[in-house]
Amino acid sequence: MAAPSTDITSLVHEPIDPVALAAYVRGNEDGAIVIFDGFVRDHSKNRRTLYLVYEAYEPMALAKIQEIAAHIHNQFSIHRVAMVHRVGRLEIGETSVYIAVSAAHRAAAFDACRYAIDTLKRTVPIWKKEYFEDGSVWADGELPPVPSAPSATSAVKPAS
Amino acid sequence: MPPVSQSIRVKVLFFGRLKEIAGRTQDSLDLAPDADIESLFANYASRYPELQQYRSFLVASCNQEFAPWNTILHAGDEVALLPPVSGG
Repeated sequence: MAAPSTDITSLVHEPIDPVALAAYVRGNEDGAIVIFDGFVRDHSKNRRTLYLVYEAYEPMALAKIQEIAAHIHNQFSIHRVAMVHRVGRLEIGETSVYIAVSAAHRAAAFDACRYAIDTLKRTVPIWKKEYFEDGSVWADGELPPVPSAPSATSAVKPAS
Repeated sequence: MPPVSQSIRVKVLFFGRLKEIAGRTQDSLDLAPDADIESLFANYASRYPELQQYRSFLVASCNQEFAPWNTILHAGDEVALLPPVSGG
C-alpha cells in the first residue's frame, strides 16, 4: 500500500517551510486543511531547554512516515498529505514536525491529522535529545508495537 | 550430520543512548547460522553490561521492519536496536 505520489513525505536536515507545504496540499476541490505544527518548547519538566538534537534511523523512519500517509488515505476521505520531520539541531521555536492534510470536509482532515501525529510519535524511529544548561538527556519515549511473528522474509526460531 | 555451516555476518545499528553505550553507530557481527536477534543482543550485552538494563525498554528491527526478538537472522541482514521513540 503506497501513498499517492502527490503526497510530500520526507525527513529533512534544513528548516521546514510551513507556508509552502500548506499551499501544496490546498486544492480547489478541498474545503479544509488541518495542520499540525510541532516546534521546540523552551522548557522540559521545569528545566530551561537550550536546544534539541533529533536523530533518526532515516530510511526506516521515512518508510514508516510513508506508511502512515498511505494509511490515512485509506481510512479517511482526504485529498493530499504533507508530512515532514526535521533532524539535527533545532533551536527554540523551530518546527520539528509538520503535517498538513487537505480534505473536502473538516472532520476527515482533523481525524487524519490527529491519527498521523499520534502514530508518528509512537512508531517512527526518531529520537530527541534535550540539552540544558547543566547537561543533556534523551527524552522519554514510547516503545513501538512489534508484531509477534516476524515479517514474511524472515523466520522464527522454534521454541526449544 | 551435515558439516557445521559457517557463521553469518550481519550489520548492526545503534541509536540514541545505545549508540553512546556501545560507543559506535554501527558494527558488523559474525553469528552462528541459527542465531536470532536475542542472541545478537546477548553478544553485545556481554561486552557492554550497561546494555542489559535496557533490554526491556528496547525493540529491534530487521531489514527496517520491527521484528520480534526470536527472529532468525540471515547473512547480510541489517539489525537495529531501537530505544523508545521520541520524535514529534
